[in-house]
Amino acid sequence: MEPIHLYTQRKSWISQIDPLSKLLFAFVSIFMTYLFSSITITCFVLLISIVLLMVARVLKKIVPLLAISFTLLLSIIIVQGLTHPTNETPLLTIGSIVFYQEGLTFAFLITLRVFNMLAAFGVLILTTKPDDLMESLMKQGMSPKISYVFLSVFQLIPQMRATLGKITDAQRSRGMETEGSLMIRIKAFFPLIGPVVLSSLNMTKERAIALEVRGFSSKGKKTFLIEEKSYFYPKFIKCVLVTLLIAAIVWRIVG
Amino acid sequence: MSKIRVEGLKYRYPDMDKLVLDNLNFEVEKGAFIGIIGENTAGKSTLCYALTGLVPNFFKGAYGGTILIDDLDEISDVTRKVGLVFDQPFSQMTGSKTTVYEEIAFGLENSGVEREEMRIRIDESLRLMDIEHLQNKNPYDLSGGQMQRVAIASVLAMKPDVIVLDEPTSQLDPKGSDEVFQVITKLAKSGITIIMAEHKLEKLAEYASKILLLHKGKQIAFGSPEEVFSRDDILEYGIAPPVYTRIAKAVKPKTQAGFYPVTMKDLMQQWNVGDK
Repeated sequence: MEPIHLYTQRKSWISQIDPLSKLLFAFVSIFMTYLFSSITITCFVLLISIVLLMVARVLKKIVPLLAISFTLLLSIIIVQGLTHPTNETPLLTIGSIVFYQEGLTFAFLITLRVFNMLAAFGVLILTTKPDDLMESLMKQGMSPKISYVFLSVFQLIPQMRATLGKITDAQRSRGMETEGSLMIRIKAFFPLIGPVVLSSLNMTKERAIALEVRGFSSKGKKTFLIEEKSYFYPKFIKCVLVTLLIAAIVWRIVG
Repeated sequence: MSKIRVEGLKYRYPDMDKLVLDNLNFEVEKGAFIGIIGENTAGKSTLCYALTGLVPNFFKGAYGGTILIDDLDEISDVTRKVGLVFDQPFSQMTGSKTTVYEEIAFGLENSGVEREEMRIRIDESLRLMDIEHLQNKNPYDLSGGQMQRVAIASVLAMKPDVIVLDEPTSQLDPKGSDEVFQVITKLAKSGITIIMAEHKLEKLAEYASKILLLHKGKQIAFGSPEEVFSRDDILEYGIAPPVYTRIAKAVKPKTQAGFYPVTMKDLMQQWNVGDK
């Protein structure tokens, strides 16, 4: 059975970094790409996340996510390329359809930002035990429910992927074609997506009940099985990230 | 161990017209093994939720009557004493723990149990469920039967007086089902009250001390397996009695007590062919 988290156990110093530092890195990294609407800076920030994923030996794991998001981003690229308000310079003509440089540049920036978002959170999720992340958030005073909701967001993809696999097999056994031309795949999409969503909702409800009966909503003080872990320079990393963030904001305001 | 008293229990889910549980009255002695049977929509799962306090606290709706556990009716007291195991072992895993050992600790961490005590209880649950060899494995790497045993161990570590199981073997293969029944029987023998909704009637006939038959939310019968499965009208409630009872019905009259045998052992005894 497939686990419902994306954490991949690999030996690297990235795994030894405090989950909160990685969370802070993800936020700082995303914030930077919005603070400076520059393709160069966004590329640089994305490169840092990619290098970290490589060092953590989990880069392969992020590629399918980037590929899926790119298929969704294609619509943004097309729409911006055709209709962005600043469109002036034609770049590509297909029949009577003209794509403009300004729109495509803007769409490229959005694509880079989304890729960076995925890669930065990938550093956090792929290299952090889900339990460590939850515990770290709870120790900072976050309510267990919010911590679990936060975690659940990252469990959605593997959970739905596992359910989709089962339902696809079930529908195939009933004679449904799920592979072949684009039309066949589109036809197969609707009979698959309904049961996947319903089944996921049902499983989520059952998991909520299972957590409830194991005292998840208990108001008393919680304890932890694992003693406080020692991480790789947690304060130093956080200080560097916060300093970088402040410097970037000041530079943006002053510059 | 706890004694359970259910008096006039009624419940209706929100936005539904019909009662799902309609005036249930029964009493469970400490350390008993009760089987709940009935066709789909009989109210078995809802009764399990009611016994654990999820109805009406998690599932809202119209609720009436009382469930008293050791004469306590405060829901916080009730949930502390009752553990629940579901049909789907996969959904019972937290998804945040990466080893069986940590998975079992989840409920104890929530309850604020001290670390030393936590380790003692986890080791005891692992031993009782015979899954010590799985403690360092990822819960998602286990088979359905093993995962269900982890789910039971997680509940057991909370030291409940009563364990309610809602069709715990429905998703399992015969080997997995046997594993689960064996451990549940072991728990019942250790004095924990077991209440189990189940469709595998041969197994219930063998292990349960009493059977509660539900039909469309109503309590039809509550008695020994022999008493309930010997009812002439049992098929009307969508229940096919255990195969041994059906054979006995077809071949021989009822026993002196007025019931049919429900297990192979009883059948052999009735036919005087020994227990070999």
